[in-house]
Amino acid sequence: MAIDYSLELAAIEGNPPLKELDEIIIKPMVTKPSRKYQIVLAITTSLLIIGAICIGITFYYGIGMWGNNQPVAWAFDITNFVFWIGIGHAGTLISAILYLLRQQWRNGIARFAEAMTIFAVMCAGIFPIIHTGRPWLAGYLIPYPNQHVMWPNFISPLVWDVFAVSTYFTVSLVFWYVGLIPDFATLRDRTTNKIRKTIYSVFSLGWRNSSRQWQHYEKVYMILAGLATPLVLSVHTVVSWDFAAAIIPGWHSTIFPPYFVAGAIFSGFAMVSTVLIFIRKIFDMEHIITLDHLEKMNKIILLTGSMVGYAYIIEWFMAWYSGSPVELFTTLNRAFGPYAWGYWIMVSCNVFFPQLFWFKKIRRSVPITLVIVILVNVGMWFERFVIIVASLSRDFLPSSWHYYKPTLVDMGILFGSFGLFFTLVLLFARTLPVVSLAEIKSIVPGAQPSHGENQHE
Amino acid sequence: MVEIKNEMDPKDKKEALDTDYWRSFKELFKDTSTIDSSHNEFGKSVTEDFDPSKLKGISRRKFIALVSASAALAGAGCSDYRSKGFIVPYNQMPEEVTVGNPTYYASTSTSCTHSCGVLIKTREGRPIKVDGNPDHPVSKGKTCAKCQASIINLYDPDRLEFPLERSGNEFLKRDWKVVDDAIISALNNSSSKQIAIITHTVNSPTSKKVLDDFVQKYPNTKIYSYELFNEQIRNSAWKKCYGTDNFPLINWDQAKIIVGLETDFLGIDGNKVETTRLFSDGRNFHQTDNFNRLYIFEGSISVTGMNADYRIKLRPDAQYELVLSLLNELDKKGISIPAGSQAYSGYSLDSFAQKYSVSKNRLNLLVKDLIKNQGSSLVYPGRTLPEEVHVAANILNEALSNTKLYRTDAAETPVLSLTSKDDIARLVQDINSGNVAVVIHYDSDPVYHLPKDFSYTDAVKKVPMIISMVGSKNDSSALGNYILPINHDFESWGDFKPRSGFYSMQQPVIDPIFDTRQKEVILLTWLKGKPVVYDDQIYHNYLKNNWEQNIYPGINSKMNFTEFWNAALHDGVVIFEESVPSLGSFDKSAGNSLPKPSSNHSGFVVALRESYQAGDGKFLNNGWMLELPHPVSKITWDNYAAISNKTAKSLNVDDGDFISIQVGNRKLEIPAFIQPGAADNTVTIELGFGRKVVGIVGTGVGFDASVLMSKAGDFSPWIYEGSNITKGSGSYKLASTMEHHLFDNELTTNVAQKRKIIQEGTVEEYKKDPNFLNAPKPNEEESLYHKHPYPGVKWGMVVDLNKCIGCGDCVIACVSENNIPIVGKDQVLVSREMQWLRVDRYYSGTIEEPTVSNQLMLCQQCDNAPCENVCPVAATTHSPDGLNQMIYNRCVGTRYCSNNCPYKVRRFNFFNYRDHFKDHFQQSQLFSLAANPEVTVRSRGVMEKCTFCIQRIMDARSLAIEEHREFKGSDVKTACQEACNTNAIMFGDENDKNSIIHKYRNHELAYYVLEDLNTKPNVTYLAKLRNTETEVA
Repeated sequence: MAIDYSLELAAIEGNPPLKELDEIIIKPMVTKPSRKYQIVLAITTSLLIIGAICIGITFYYGIGMWGNNQPVAWAFDITNFVFWIGIGHAGTLISAILYLLRQQWRNGIARFAEAMTIFAVMCAGIFPIIHTGRPWLAGYLIPYPNQHVMWPNFISPLVWDVFAVSTYFTVSLVFWYVGLIPDFATLRDRTTNKIRKTIYSVFSLGWRNSSRQWQHYEKVYMILAGLATPLVLSVHTVVSWDFAAAIIPGWHSTIFPPYFVAGAIFSGFAMVSTVLIFIRKIFDMEHIITLDHLEKMNKIILLTGSMVGYAYIIEWFMAWYSGSPVELFTTLNRAFGPYAWGYWIMVSCNVFFPQLFWFKKIRRSVPITLVIVILVNVGMWFERFVIIVASLSRDFLPSSWHYYKPTLVDMGILFGSFGLFFTLVLLFARTLPVVSLAEIKSIVPGAQPSHGENQHE
Repeated sequence: MVEIKNEMDPKDKKEALDTDYWRSFKELFKDTSTIDSSHNEFGKSVTEDFDPSKLKGISRRKFIALVSASAALAGAGCSDYRSKGFIVPYNQMPEEVTVGNPTYYASTSTSCTHSCGVLIKTREGRPIKVDGNPDHPVSKGKTCAKCQASIINLYDPDRLEFPLERSGNEFLKRDWKVVDDAIISALNNSSSKQIAIITHTVNSPTSKKVLDDFVQKYPNTKIYSYELFNEQIRNSAWKKCYGTDNFPLINWDQAKIIVGLETDFLGIDGNKVETTRLFSDGRNFHQTDNFNRLYIFEGSISVTGMNADYRIKLRPDAQYELVLSLLNELDKKGISIPAGSQAYSGYSLDSFAQKYSVSKNRLNLLVKDLIKNQGSSLVYPGRTLPEEVHVAANILNEALSNTKLYRTDAAETPVLSLTSKDDIARLVQDINSGNVAVVIHYDSDPVYHLPKDFSYTDAVKKVPMIISMVGSKNDSSALGNYILPINHDFESWGDFKPRSGFYSMQQPVIDPIFDTRQKEVILLTWLKGKPVVYDDQIYHNYLKNNWEQNIYPGINSKMNFTEFWNAALHDGVVIFEESVPSLGSFDKSAGNSLPKPSSNHSGFVVALRESYQAGDGKFLNNGWMLELPHPVSKITWDNYAAISNKTAKSLNVDDGDFISIQVGNRKLEIPAFIQPGAADNTVTIELGFGRKVVGIVGTGVGFDASVLMSKAGDFSPWIYEGSNITKGSGSYKLASTMEHHLFDNELTTNVAQKRKIIQEGTVEEYKKDPNFLNAPKPNEEESLYHKHPYPGVKWGMVVDLNKCIGCGDCVIACVSENNIPIVGKDQVLVSREMQWLRVDRYYSGTIEEPTVSNQLMLCQQCDNAPCENVCPVAATTHSPDGLNQMIYNRCVGTRYCSNNCPYKVRRFNFFNYRDHFKDHFQQSQLFSLAANPEVTVRSRGVMEKCTFCIQRIMDARSLAIEEHREFKGSDVKTACQEACNTNAIMFGDENDKNSIIHKYRNHELAYYVLEDLNTKPNVTYLAKLRNTETEVA
């Protein structure tokens, strides 16, 4: 099929020389960090340390340090887990699905989004382990041959989770690393520092930019993209089964897999936008990560946000249509019960505000976009909170109903996970090219085979 | 094996030396030390002595074995699993003990004044569980929660371990000998001054004899006996009407209509163990024609009120008017009233109904019922009501010839009557005038219990010698000179005679844990005078002699005394023929002295009740009891002022806000609690809390409402009219195990009924159509998973909600049997209580007139258990006999099972709860002795739940195998079932077609909670039938 690339907007603005592109992208890696960077890093590492201390307290004293109770046995822990797993989804979508769909504009943001996927999954991965009462025995969840002939319970969605999340992390990491190989080679070639050169040499796996290598590389990258694509759908589907396979009203629902996947992409794009808005500003990459990129992402946010809104409406319909009084109660209770505040934060942040993106002006306004994507992040965190906590706090037997209140340790771990995420993002921004050096060059004007005029100027 | 050469060949050595190369002058000039060292290139090292040739005996395999052994050692040595000590076998095997098998001893509990017979289960010499003694004629194998919980009073780390003597503001450890000497000389020097012994109820004849002996030796001794709550008013009213001393026992099971006036006979009034059993006999759905009907008029909901068919809220000071109005109404209806009409004329039921906004229909129905059921109805006023109510009720019962319900075959005959309050006032007077030399608090706490305006506290400080014999420190002992630690029941000998016709025997089941003595022994030691002799058999022998000489001859036993004595101890009871004093005949002039009720009830009325949890304060240091949710409010660890919603609104207070109560010049600040169904302008507070001197557990628990009591007690010692209540400052957190205020909105009202969790009907409906309930039975639907085959037995439980009164005795039994930890108020506040078994209390209707439904909730052991398939590590599995098992060692604590349990009966160890509580007392060596060795003590991070007492099932199974017989469902009794006074809990084999379980699972009244989830629960509920009439709301 012939594709007329000239119909697309330029993925990067201007027509920078390739060398200049390299320099812009590599600049943060070779210059001394600015004061601002140091302050931000200090803040994020402080959060990280607070989180680590809170986890330490949890390990020492027990889960009782959290607000979890009977009936709300899961609260911030699993909310954070689902939230972070969701954040990761944008990265995989951008790097794999958009790659397969030949969406060239992705090249400017793919690296970053992939890195965020890995960091988000790392943040997420903490929670299933620390949420257990005896985390030192968390290895029981992994199937391994043992003298008890004791296997995990393969019909438990939590075991599926273990597989889904570990697969996701592995594939994302390999995919990311493979994408980095040509860049490591470029870095190796450019640097004069011996230590760096050694490190880059090792990681570039002897990359010499030969045609054969490129040929192999492209194939591997495509295969990995193909492998990663189903994960975009499967991981959050499996995560949603944690709830859908349970019988708790508000959980037991077949709508959960698509609803969760849409929500994950929704929140993931919001998070990518949030971070990129800062990165492009700080590192002067506004013409590499352009307004068009942001607008395109805003469109996806609008789409997935509407899907999420649709899911919310369907939940009401199903609550009525199911004929189950408990199900109806749970839905009503979410909106009008003790956690109504959480529900309405969720609805306004996830449904109302993203609808503003119907307006082009708003889509292309960086400050408004920033506000909305942050609200989406808040809203999507609350979505998980409402699903988990509001459903559990009032389930079948009214005798067990109890309100859940988070403790300081809960808050500390939540902020700690943000601390971990942003610390990793900041370190990444200074140690590795945040935009793929190789891929970005392939989309500068003139890099594509074309019969258009601008080739022979 | 290749031989490794250690040394150079001598030839090579020579050559090496002959080289032309040299590295130093020393070498060049062939210095000997250099030559030597050149042989040893690497100098002296640790491997010097390592000679591989010597290792020939060690094979490769052995080497690897050694390496791995050292690795394992290093691994084990560095692990955190500390040695928990050794299990030491008996050096000398005691008789009757088989290690690993429990031994049961019959004894008597003195947790309350009713002296129930108990069977104490001991393991390796330590008591671990209390159950009822089936041979006991009153308790019949049942016990109450307090009795069950008394076991941790034995192992209370706050128990006194040795005698203490005051020195300044401190108490110092003393030897018994020193203490005894000092006290004996004080007793001897008391000369003509009074020696006051203050005790609780004494219903042990031999204990009474000890006191008599004491009085004989020291004739200046006076004995005062008191109880915080007692039957004195009821008895004095009885005496006025019938001329005899004691109110008779009642055949509750034969009463068709029971009218309770501010009474909680199913809870704390009277002998609960017996009354509840007899009452529930009258609520048998197989005999709907004999179904009793319970009317309750009360100020705040009690256990009895929860079980009433018609519960009418009424302020306690209006009860008198109610009885007078009923008398008047009955008189009008042609019943002859055996009293002059001047007492009640003018009190019409209509105007009463209007004045107190009581439903007239209900009152009319009540009158109709009373007339229809003459001879089998009973009007029963509470013990806290004033005398005139009791007299009027006696007249009413006499008029309806309800006296037929009074028992003539048995009676309560006190061994020692309680002291009147005038005598106590006189004691205080005597103390103040310096006429009392010694005060002995004989296992009592008058400083805490007596109304404060006796000024006993101030007075007793003037006594030169105050001796407190107590188990652990209390408010009274803190004022004394000597604190003498006494034995727990389980370390004591005794005999009790709470009623005519039998004795209940007490024998120790464990040696005194500390340097304590039985209180009778202390007195006997003093009686012996100098030289001080103590012998731990002293009271045993005294008891035996007393029986041999004074009691045994009157019993006409065919056995010789030794045989008789051993049999008595073995059985725990001695039943014999005894004549019962006659009831006396009714004195028609009794009604003449009835006063006119004060027509105007203005202001608030304060009603004081005994605590379900703390008793009279005796159980305030008992974590099991304090954590037992209040049967009605479900509040733990506190008492509170129960007020109605309307009153709360008018005072502008919410749950937990302090209110300030003023009665006369006595004041109390206490948090309010909005009790649905409470009468307006009535404040109900439970006593027994807020002791100032108490152990770790009870410190700071609750509020001492006894400060409101007055010795004058114009109305009654426990009910105060005309008190003034204002909103106090601040608020307080009350830890409840259930949410309040489900009346608030349409969403949450009657939600348990809407969801068919509670399914009920009326007797009328059931008679008309036995299948009225039409509850779906579990059906065989297709399942993704294979069906469990259940060969052999399959465990099932049936809970008869007609019989369950919601008292919570079963909860304590479960706690005791299954080593369930105490979590403390802070954890109950965040809803982390650990009890495996709970009594759910649901209100329906309005907050003003709620209907209460109770439901025992425990693991339903579902066939399709939602918890089982979600556990990622298979820590909860299905057993072939239908249990959802919990494998603690495998559990990693994801809590997924708990989330997915629709019944929310799983409990998670959010902390190491044994360590979590104040001072870690649950981990103390002493407290740990209360643990059942058959049940694992769970660690932090592990889920736990009810498994139908799996340890008992396993015990019974091995016994059946050992005895080569078929294992039957009836072989096993769960702890809750054993404790249930009303036999509401039944347990057995569903597969056994002849079993009661099988029968009831298919009964028309049977239903399953959340049956529509297809969890296929194995706990069957038999729907409650209310004996109400359709047209009367």
